[in-house]
Amino acid sequence: MTKPKITFDGQTFEFEPGDTIMRAAERAHIDQGIPRFCYHPGLPIAGTCRMCTVEVEKAPKLMTACSTPAADGMVVHTQSDKVRKSRAGVMEFLLVNHPLDCPVCDQAGECSLQNYNYEYGPGTSRFRDDKRIWSEATTKRLSDKLTLNMNRCVHCERCVRFTEDISKSNELLMENRGWKKELVSVADQKSFDEYQGNIADICPVGAITFNDFRFKKRVWFLKARKTLCDGCSKGCSIFADEEKHVVYRYRARRNDQVNGHWICDEGRVSYKTYMNPERVIQPLLKTGAEGVACSWQTVLSWSLAEARKAKRVLLLLGTDATSEEAATLMQILPSYWQAETQIRLWNGTGEGVQRSSDDAGLDKLLRRRDKTPNTKGLEMLGLKPFDPAQDQGFDLAIYYRSGRATLPAAPCASVEIGWGVFDRSEAQRFAAVWPGQGVLEKAGSYTNCDGLTQSFDAAVASHGGCAPVKKVLDALKVLSTSASASHEEVALGSV
Amino acid sequence: MAIIVSRKERFLDKLYIPALLVGLKVTFRRFFESLFLGRTMTIQYPEQKREYSQRFRGEHFISVDANKVENCTSCYLCQTVCPAECITIIAEERPNDQNPYGVRKEKRPVRFDIDALRCCFCGFCEEACPKDAIKLSRNYEMAVETRAQAFYDLDHLKREVKGRG
Repeated sequence: MTKPKITFDGQTFEFEPGDTIMRAAERAHIDQGIPRFCYHPGLPIAGTCRMCTVEVEKAPKLMTACSTPAADGMVVHTQSDKVRKSRAGVMEFLLVNHPLDCPVCDQAGECSLQNYNYEYGPGTSRFRDDKRIWSEATTKRLSDKLTLNMNRCVHCERCVRFTEDISKSNELLMENRGWKKELVSVADQKSFDEYQGNIADICPVGAITFNDFRFKKRVWFLKARKTLCDGCSKGCSIFADEEKHVVYRYRARRNDQVNGHWICDEGRVSYKTYMNPERVIQPLLKTGAEGVACSWQTVLSWSLAEARKAKRVLLLLGTDATSEEAATLMQILPSYWQAETQIRLWNGTGEGVQRSSDDAGLDKLLRRRDKTPNTKGLEMLGLKPFDPAQDQGFDLAIYYRSGRATLPAAPCASVEIGWGVFDRSEAQRFAAVWPGQGVLEKAGSYTNCDGLTQSFDAAVASHGGCAPVKKVLDALKVLSTSASASHEEVALGSV
Repeated sequence: MAIIVSRKERFLDKLYIPALLVGLKVTFRRFFESLFLGRTMTIQYPEQKREYSQRFRGEHFISVDANKVENCTSCYLCQTVCPAECITIIAEERPNDQNPYGVRKEKRPVRFDIDALRCCFCGFCEEACPKDAIKLSRNYEMAVETRAQAFYDLDHLKREVKGRG
C-alpha cells in the first residue's frame, strides 16, 4: 500500500494516515517553517493561537496546521503572502499588550514571540493606547519553583494543558475571558507537582520562569550539550546548558522511548551535585582529623601501599558508575595487589533500594524510587549487592561512586578510600579521596529501569584534578611496576 | 629604468646657510610670537584643560534615578556586545522590599565590574544599553596608582556625574 502524500511549498512528502498537517510537517522535518504558540508535540491540540495557519489549496480560508487533518494530495503553502500577512496580524495583536521588557525578561534569546516577531511581525507598533497591565500580579510566585509574570502571557494555555494531561495535577487554569484572562493556581499550593520545570520550558514567552535558573544566566551564552540525567533509574535525555564548562541548567530533550518531552524537577536541579562548590576536586589524604589536598602521586602511592598491606580488599561500586567504568574496574583493579578483592555494588537510595527489583515508579510519569542511573547495568555485569551482615572482615574498602549512590552507614573496613564525586562532609570518613568524574564530565553508557542502554558523551571538561578511571588505573600501574615513578608519569590533572 | 638627473648647484647653494635660514623662519616666527604676543601652541595642562568634543568617550558611569538606584537591569547586552570582554555582570532578583518599581527593575546587578585596562572605549556598551544605564562620561583623567583601581565596581560606576561630565 502506498502512503498518502502531501505537498509543502512545492515539495511532496509522505505521511501516516491520521496525521495533522503539523505532524506531517514534523515527519518531513520542515515544521520549523510553521510558527506556533499553543501547539506542542507533547500536548493535546488546542488550536487557539492561530499562529500556525497555512494556506491549503481549494480551502476557502487559512487552516490551522496543528488541528487540520492532512489528506492525500493536499497542497499546502506555508510561506505564501496570505499566510505571512495573517501571521503578521496575529503578532500585532499579541504585541498590543506584550510589554517591551526583553532586557529584563529571562526568556529573551529563546523566546518564540521574539523569534516570530523578527520573522513575521511588524517592526513598529500602531497601538497608541495604554497597555493592559496587571500591576498587582506583575511578578508573583506561582509556586515555590515557578514565577509568573502575567503581563508577558500570550494565553497559549500550554501550561494549563500540561497540568491537565501530563502531570495531571489540574493545578493551573485560566480565569476570566479576553483581555482579562489570567492564569491562576487553583489551590494556591506551595508545590503542586514534581514536573513544574517543564511548564517553564514549554512556556513560549517569559511569563513562567523556573526560579532555580531565573536571572542566573542569559541564554545566548549557553551551549546545549546532549547528555543523560542520572537523577534516577529512568535515564531521561536532557540538554545540559553550559558556558565555560559550568552547567547552569538541565532541559528535557525529546526521547520518545524514555521520557517524551519531560523531566522531573528533582532531575532538573541535579546538576548541582557536580557544580557543588563543596565538591572535592583535588586528591585528599587524611593527616590528623582533616583531609589535606595533595598530588595524585602521593595519594596513589599511599593507597597502593595500604592495599599491599591488606589481606582482603572490598571494592564497592556505586550504581551510578557507567557500565564501562564498572567493567574496567572489575577486570583491572584487583590485579594490582595480592589481596583477595571482593567486588560488590551499592545503591542505598530511595529508602534502601539495592537491586533493580526494589525499584518502582513513584508516579505514572517518570520518577523512580531508585535514584541511581545504572543499577540494571551493573547487575548485568554480574555484580551482587553488598550485604553488611555477610560481607565482613575487610582491611581496605574502596568506594567508587559518582555522586548519586549513598555510602554504607557503618565503615566496611578499617581503612576507607573514596573514589569519585563526594562533597567535603562526605569525604570526612575517608582516609584518602581520589576525585573522579561526574556524569557531565565523562562518556559512557547507562542501562535504565526498562533495560534500555543509552550512551552519552561528556558535556563539560573535568573540574580541578578529577581524573577518568582509565587514567587513574594507568597511573596505578606505573606506580605498582616501578619503584620510583616520576611525578610527571602520575600527574593526571584535568582532562 | 632609472633616469639620472644632475642638478647644477651654485656657490650659494653649496653654502647651505640660506636654505637653513629659510627652514628656521617658521621656528623663529613661532618663537617670537609666543614670547612677545603670548600666542602659545601648548597649554598649561593640569591648570588648563583642553576642550574635547561633546561626543568624547571617557570613563564609564552608570546612571541612577531619583532614588539613587541604578538604571541597570543587568540584561547583559553590554557584556554580550563588548569586543574587549571587559564587562562582568552578576544578576539577581531585587528584594521586594527594596523595589518600588515593580517589574521594571525586578532584576538588578549584584556586581557590575568594568576592567578599564581592557576597555577600548568603543562605546558599544552605551549603544547597546536599552535603559541608558551605562554611559561613557567625558572624563579622560583615568590615571590610577594600581591596577586594582582600574577595575571599576558598581559603587564607583554609580558615582554622581553631571550631564556627561
